[in-house]
Amino acid sequence: MKEILSYRDLILTLVARDLKVRYRRSALGFLWTMLQPLLMMLVFYAVFSALFRFSIPNYEVYALAGVLFWNFFSQSIVSSMNSLRGNAQLLKKLPVPKIVFPLATVLSGVVNLLLALVPLLLIMLITGGLASLKPALLFLPVSILLAALFTLGAGLLLAPLAVFFSDVLELIGVLLSVVMYLTPIFYPKEILPESLRWVVRFNPVRSILEVFRDPIYQGEVPPLTHLSVCIVIAILALVIGAVAFRRSSDRIPFYV
Amino acid sequence: MSEPRIDLEGVSLCYRLAKQRLPSIKEYMIHFMKGALSYEKLWALRDITFKVEPGEVLGIVGRNGAGKSTLLKVISRVLKPTGKVVVRGTVSPILELGTGFDHELTGFENIYLNALLLGRSRKEIDVKLEEIIQFSGLGDFIRAPIRNYSSGMMARLGFSIATAWVPDILILDEVLAVGDAAFTEKCEHRMQQFHDAGTTVLMVSHSAESVRKNCTRCIWLDAGNLRADGPAKEVLEMYSHAGTDPDQRAIGQLHLG
Repeated sequence: MKEILSYRDLILTLVARDLKVRYRRSALGFLWTMLQPLLMMLVFYAVFSALFRFSIPNYEVYALAGVLFWNFFSQSIVSSMNSLRGNAQLLKKLPVPKIVFPLATVLSGVVNLLLALVPLLLIMLITGGLASLKPALLFLPVSILLAALFTLGAGLLLAPLAVFFSDVLELIGVLLSVVMYLTPIFYPKEILPESLRWVVRFNPVRSILEVFRDPIYQGEVPPLTHLSVCIVIAILALVIGAVAFRRSSDRIPFYV
Repeated sequence: MSEPRIDLEGVSLCYRLAKQRLPSIKEYMIHFMKGALSYEKLWALRDITFKVEPGEVLGIVGRNGAGKSTLLKVISRVLKPTGKVVVRGTVSPILELGTGFDHELTGFENIYLNALLLGRSRKEIDVKLEEIIQFSGLGDFIRAPIRNYSSGMMARLGFSIATAWVPDILILDEVLAVGDAAFTEKCEHRMQQFHDAGTTVLMVSHSAESVRKNCTRCIWLDAGNLRADGPAKEVLEMYSHAGTDPDQRAIGQLHLG
């Protein structure tokens, strides 16, 4: 922990470099990265309102918030897994604490998520007017913190595996898309058949997603019971990830 | 007498080379079930024991693949071996040319990146920035992307960054070989200053001349074994003979000094 703190300037520099690459062409770069979630939202909107003839109020906001959360979660995990391999030369030659690479990856994901909130707020204003901006939005920093801790935990658990085995990345890609469909990102969980509900109920990603989406979509702070469950989930994920990472950390330079 | 800076006792390190390429989970499972997970063991270091005191300049010689770089990585805490490793104080490693540089960034930006990777803070770097640029002698090239640098220029920059702070232990892996004569002299002068300040220097070099000139003591690694350890002159003498006389290679470990 102390070691991480002493390398905080390095972590910040890595985050800045990551963002610079992503938004290379300034404003336009940002537009491009926002285009994907907006398009996804439009597709879901078309599918659900036209094809399934199913509508929930303010679906645009519901879907976009879900997509933004999911992008943060899945991209952070994939990039964490790539971060060790991508910096193989450094890991093999310099005594840098290995944890800085996945950590910087997740942090830059958080910055991206924060930036993506701007278009989300715009959509909220367009669809719901000023009334849609409820004070509950002020709870979002806590939600994002929980999402970040949870994601970091998952990333730390998986990143060393990507070093030891060459096909883990593909495997996780498949798993992620399964989890995506088992998480009510673009569908309301009420449409699930009774037999499937328990899966979604025990899906931790769903719990974390709701803490993020409730303040935006419902305009409500998540209920205390749900919140405490999420705090436990996030901390548990982080502890498991950190312990697993620590245990495999010495072996990483031999395999990258 | 102060405590030794580096204290290695029975240090061994084995690379497990998978006979197959990096296994996938699928292959791993298949082989695991068959009980046929086989690895070729490559002992890069075998039972190495030595101590280095503050202020010593230790040369490390040996053929390619003798374990020199692995030893440096063990001391700079990149690789974890079996055995006892005690390293006291800050370590500044300059390992290989261009390590820790981003080739798309300018020399200026790389000073920050590289020094941060060595564990420095932004504030510390701000203070030393001028001095680093000055010492590297790169002039206006400091504003050019590193990809346009020659290997000598990169080595200059790497050396200037890593030696901007007086470390307790300085590790040099074939670094002095690429600079021009004037810069090499400058480096040797700085190493002398470090030496006077009590820094322990470890240097790997294929140039006997460079080791003779800079080192007080020398160790000779041969296929992961410590063949000799003693005053630089004597070890170099043995090493140069071993190269030409195959019979000499048969002798076991020798300890001089």
